[in-house]
Amino acid sequence: MSSITRRRLLAGTAGIATAAAVGLPAFGQGAAPQPKRGGTLTGTWGGFEPQALFVPPGGGSSPYFTSTKIHERLLTLDNDLNFVPVLALEVTPSEDFRSYRVKLRPNVKWHDGKPLTADDIVFNALQYWKPLSAGIALKALVGAEAVDATTALLKFNAPLPEFFLKSVLAGKAGLVIPKHVYEGRDILTNPANNAPIGTGPFKFKEWVRGSHVELLRNEDYWDAPRPYLDRLVIRWWRDPASRSAAFEAGQLDLGVFNPTPAPDIKRLTDTGRFTATTLGYDNSSWVSTIEFNSRRDIVKRPDVRKAINLAIDRQFIADTIFFGRAKPAAGPIPSTNRVFFDPALKPYPFDLAQAGKLLDAAGFPKKRGGRFKVNLVAAGWFEENVKLGQYVRQALEDLDIEVDLAIPDRATSFKRIYTDYEYDIALSNNSGTVELVPEWTRFVTTDNIIKGGAFRNATGHSDPKLDDIVARLSAEVSPDKRVALAREFQANLATSLPWTALVEIQSTTIARADVRGHSLTADFLGDSWAGVWLDR
Amino acid sequence: MGRIVIRRLAQVLPLLLGVIVLNFTLIQFAPGTLLDIMSADQQVSDPVLIERMRVLYGMDQPAIVQLGKYIWSVLTLDFGFSYRQNAPVLDVIMTHLPATILLMVASISVALVVGVTAGVVASVKVNTIWDNLISLGAVFFFAAPTFWLGIMLTILFSVKLGWLPVGGMRTVGTEPSLVGDVLDVARHLVLPALSLGLFYAAMYARIMRASMLEVFSLDFVRTARSKGLSGSTIVVRHVLRNALLPVVTLLGLQLGTVVGGSVVVEAVFSWPGIGSLMLDSVMSRNYPMVLGVLVLSSLVVAVSNVAVDLAYFKLDPRIRAR
Repeated sequence: MSSITRRRLLAGTAGIATAAAVGLPAFGQGAAPQPKRGGTLTGTWGGFEPQALFVPPGGGSSPYFTSTKIHERLLTLDNDLNFVPVLALEVTPSEDFRSYRVKLRPNVKWHDGKPLTADDIVFNALQYWKPLSAGIALKALVGAEAVDATTALLKFNAPLPEFFLKSVLAGKAGLVIPKHVYEGRDILTNPANNAPIGTGPFKFKEWVRGSHVELLRNEDYWDAPRPYLDRLVIRWWRDPASRSAAFEAGQLDLGVFNPTPAPDIKRLTDTGRFTATTLGYDNSSWVSTIEFNSRRDIVKRPDVRKAINLAIDRQFIADTIFFGRAKPAAGPIPSTNRVFFDPALKPYPFDLAQAGKLLDAAGFPKKRGGRFKVNLVAAGWFEENVKLGQYVRQALEDLDIEVDLAIPDRATSFKRIYTDYEYDIALSNNSGTVELVPEWTRFVTTDNIIKGGAFRNATGHSDPKLDDIVARLSAEVSPDKRVALAREFQANLATSLPWTALVEIQSTTIARADVRGHSLTADFLGDSWAGVWLDR
Repeated sequence: MGRIVIRRLAQVLPLLLGVIVLNFTLIQFAPGTLLDIMSADQQVSDPVLIERMRVLYGMDQPAIVQLGKYIWSVLTLDFGFSYRQNAPVLDVIMTHLPATILLMVASISVALVVGVTAGVVASVKVNTIWDNLISLGAVFFFAAPTFWLGIMLTILFSVKLGWLPVGGMRTVGTEPSLVGDVLDVARHLVLPALSLGLFYAAMYARIMRASMLEVFSLDFVRTARSKGLSGSTIVVRHVLRNALLPVVTLLGLQLGTVVGGSVVVEAVFSWPGIGSLMLDSVMSRNYPMVLGVLVLSSLVVAVSNVAVDLAYFKLDPRIRAR
């Protein structure tokens, strides 16, 4: 209950922040602008149209972006990294943390008028989350039952940390889908995936492929007077420059996840008609990573890995390749993770001389033809990775390492890095939650060496000590001890360096100045947008 | 003439078979499969689920069996199911095809009208300032990348002047009458058709000019002049008609590229055409969709080439006689 008031309060304060940003007089907290009802908002994101509106096992950011306006979760994570209730009023662990009681919000209706009940949660837990969407995250789930119409009990075969379970429920895997629509049919191919029925603030109206999807206000939404918008249109532009033009022509109101080319952000905000923010991405932080193949004789050595890290100028990458929309990373876990990041870690300095000395000492002296030769694979799914690959090649050549660079397309990158392990050094990406298990730990633990598993342990790194830390982190229920374990995890990786981050990417949301109530949760791209309103 | 049409259409079958076999093979050789993409997108690493997906996609069978099955289903007019879109391939293509054909027809019309007119003017006023200006324009539009031209047109007409919409095919959220809808689509069509059309127009203008100049020097034109025909009659009835043949040839060749080649223009104007669908499908190795698009676009190309052949007969009766 208290969290609901906090959410309202936050919505108010952010309204003030926006008002201040556009130069309006800031009022006291009590006089926060009252949200206005009505209007049509056109939103987009910095990517393409989804393959299907809702892809049950995930399907990447695009289907996630659209489906989260229709499907809701039990909880969400706010910008202060506290879990706040959505469909669940509360999720409480038992004494031994082996079962969790989910108390549902009463009187929530699906878009087709049927009530949301505990049976839906049981169905989701057993038929959807565990087998399809959450995967290894819920491997400890052994049962679920409905206690009464609005209470469900989730049972696990091991103690489960509260933050961990709530993170799964509030994460990409935790969407709640209607049992009466999905039961008895294959979830993957259910036609409702392209015309979803949810509990969310917006109802599906029409999808014009190649152009837009039109969503209408859910008049029976449980959180009245939300949603404030009458209609939400999600449109897709394939070209970032066209999104800038659409903003300027007044045909686009809100764009998440880097909608425009980076140099345009300043130009747009300088007009005073638009605001830009990096809020709302803490629970889906992106980093650009460097992975060293532990199966290769040279790059499996920590001293060589350290030398290579010293030879890469992270500040240059942030300033030049990302136009300042990134910052040097101190380790694989981004510093925006205020729960688990270890502030004692500092980014590697750029020190070519020191790197050279390290390689000399490691037995790779300067000689004709280079100290040694590496295969560098930059995953071509982001435009920045193309430039990043070219930069890292130059950086390593400055260290007299001969580099064979490949920047394959998306499918080939997956195959080379995560299936064939055909690389010495790979430049990839990760986007993960605040919770470290499993989205960050799966890059390095031994049980995640799965041939063909994308964004799993492709380096072949296997360290029993690290595995033990992760095992304890997964089972420890005391929040303080978990933080200590997370720091142990980061310290261990900082010495062995199988995988680390070069820069933390700062994703940006651009909004027209009269769009309010946005960017208030820790994953705004996947927020329901019920609180967004237009000050027109 | 009917015989020729039938003969041309009969050639379509082996063509389609070739398209299918060739592209199927190419996709098989490309590194990475639909399964890789789908399992990566969906963060699936559970071997049981991956195996389930493999069977679902029909990838548990040898490639040659998959190919045989595909050819058979195309013969029965079934283009298969796209698991990526979670929809039948034909349904997805059919939602994109009208936009593509509309853009194709509009841009080719722009290209023909602008290109032929410019070519005729340049040849009639050869070596004057008009000729030079047209040549300059042709070089400019031929050299300017279509995406750049598209963005510049957008900035001018949509952002600065506010006359035309930034992209898309229809205004979202209005339910206009039929006339209103046609006007709305037409407004959205102007910029993409111009960006794509002007590129081809540049080519037609150059070809047309050269072809006109050549025909001008022929004996029958001198005869027409000596008969005392007026200049415009000679240009329109004698020279233009004979000079059009090379342009029509080029047109036939280009119809194919326009169907598949407007990815860039579609991206800039978010035109809901088939090019982006094709690009995504190739990138995700979604071969039922790739093959579906290729089969349907080769059909479109084959049919339009029959139309081009018929245009030959109309323009030059001597061809029919042979």
